Amino acid sequence: MDNQAVHNIVDVDMELEETSDSFLCCICLDLLYKPIVLSCGHISCFWCVHKSMNNLCESHCPICRHTYNHFPSICLMLHLLLSKMYPIAYKRREEQILEEEKQMGFFSPQFDSHSFEALLGKEFGHLGDSAQTSTRVQESTIKRGIGENMEQLGSVSLILNNGTTIPVQTTGGTVSIMENNSPQNKLNGDRKQIAVTDVLCSACKQLLIHPVALNCGHVYCETCIIKPTDKQIRCQICRCLNPMGCPKVCLELDHFLEEQFSKEYASRKDAIQPKEVQLNRESATTCSIEAGKLGFIASLLRTGQRLPMWADPHSKVHIGVGCDYCGMCPIIGDRYKCKDCVEAIGFDLCGDCYNTRSKLPGRFNQQHTPEHRLELVKPKLVIRHVMSRLVTGQLENGSPAFILADDIFEDGSPVNLPGDVQENTSNDSPATVSNTENIIDQNDSEPTG
Amino acid sequence: MSGGIARGRLTEERKAWRKNHPHGFVAKPEATKDGSVNLMVWECIIPGKAGTDWEGGYFPLTLYFSEDYPSKPPKCKFPQGFFHPNVYPSGTVCLSILNEDNGWRPAITVKQILVGIQDLLDQPNPADPAQTDGYQLYIQDPAEYKKRVRQQANQYPPNL
Repeated sequence: MDNQAVHNIVDVDMELEETSDSFLCCICLDLLYKPIVLSCGHISCFWCVHKSMNNLCESHCPICRHTYNHFPSICLMLHLLLSKMYPIAYKRREEQILEEEKQMGFFSPQFDSHSFEALLGKEFGHLGDSAQTSTRVQESTIKRGIGENMEQLGSVSLILNNGTTIPVQTTGGTVSIMENNSPQNKLNGDRKQIAVTDVLCSACKQLLIHPVALNCGHVYCETCIIKPTDKQIRCQICRCLNPMGCPKVCLELDHFLEEQFSKEYASRKDAIQPKEVQLNRESATTCSIEAGKLGFIASLLRTGQRLPMWADPHSKVHIGVGCDYCGMCPIIGDRYKCKDCVEAIGFDLCGDCYNTRSKLPGRFNQQHTPEHRLELVKPKLVIRHVMSRLVTGQLENGSPAFILADDIFEDGSPVNLPGDVQENTSNDSPATVSNTENIIDQNDSEPTG
Repeated sequence: MSGGIARGRLTEERKAWRKNHPHGFVAKPEATKDGSVNLMVWECIIPGKAGTDWEGGYFPLTLYFSEDYPSKPPKCKFPQGFFHPNVYPSGTVCLSILNEDNGWRPAITVKQILVGIQDLLDQPNPADPAQTDGYQLYIQDPAEYKKRVRQQANQYPPNL
């Protein structure tokens, strides 16, 4: 119906859409798909970030090599924005990635419009329209539709990240829609169909300015983030703690907003200026890369670790395993593994998330439910682990590396045996030869004996 | 878990290169005997920078991409025995941005690699020598070094 018309419009300049330079992933060099904003503010696709992560220790941003330890959640706001701006290219990417996922057997979180509706149908019966059809009918319905759009954004992320559903406040969203007159203009003339309401701050519900994405994927204006002086930042929507201090501004999105909504952006900038000066004064040090590093080391210290993690005999690093809630990878400390999830990729939680959070759903579309049972799992020994302990002389009795000593003993025993035989034959009379044969038989290990 | 992103990325690299690339440079996937294209090996040509001793030389470089690309950098090789302080006797280029644990980032494009290597030609890094011949001349006998560089530039004329 409506979608059809839109497709026709876009068909004409499909070439243009395909060759657009903004929002390209720097890893696959294609249009971003299921974008993730890292704490340094750089954006990449879900799978591109995942594949470039280091399973052994901290990972580095593929663009600036900024270190991080948590795999962030997909930025739903950007996801919806891109699917709206580039419907054809985004659809193509969706199909392409789904095909790859089928081959791999691992899946990214699935939240296409169908599952949106399914999710919303369950939780919010009154929201029948999908975001796409409702935003482009008439002016009056545009406003209503966008309101719903916002609600969907907020509510879906709530469901995804929290499990328990919290009633969503839409009032802020609709108020700001009334203030902004631009959506109509954009909708009429611009094929991209995007409006200020697609890029609102999660807190102030106004056009994002200097956007910052938290680990949970929610986006705020830099000035809207509440920074407790002694504790970690907590997302105001999903209540998730944000590891590693305050993320950096996502410059790509910021430039895009400045370009796309120059008027609104300028007025917002003027309004925010005094606030910003204050912000700079009080937290000049907390927003740097250094702070990120400190945060990481602090989190190590908190769990009693020191670098390098895999060389420490007391460390509990679960190499190659990430937490499905906060995204910490590799998990340091306690690891709880789901016994009931059947997906090949498994479902794991770190100690903190196990103790404080709901267990819904996985980062890779695992069908995890709160009824599933979780068990505490010990870190797996990896050869590098053992080697590094040997090299650094940290082998102790009782440590898991003791297994290695056992192995040597077993391997060594056949060598010892001939030695015993030799000793026996040389020291004793020929009568004892049968005795040694017995020994060999008992040991059952020397084929020639 | 390598999901075959390497080929997709290289296809996009090829597209981007065709659309726009620096003057004098060549970069194209290797053509196999049966006429198909091997995306995992690229044959490139780096021109010596104008105004330097390397000017006039068009140096052949081969990029070997692995299935882990772009998580891991490609291996970049000049012909065996290439004269440069930071090129191993095998021809492999020693450069920080091509080192996985050091400067490599998946965001670095083929274009950036080639331009980076062009810069390296005239600005060797004496802190990280890879061959004795080039390194010792560079440190001890600049005149002879210059001569050898010019000699090598003549060895690789434009249409090789």
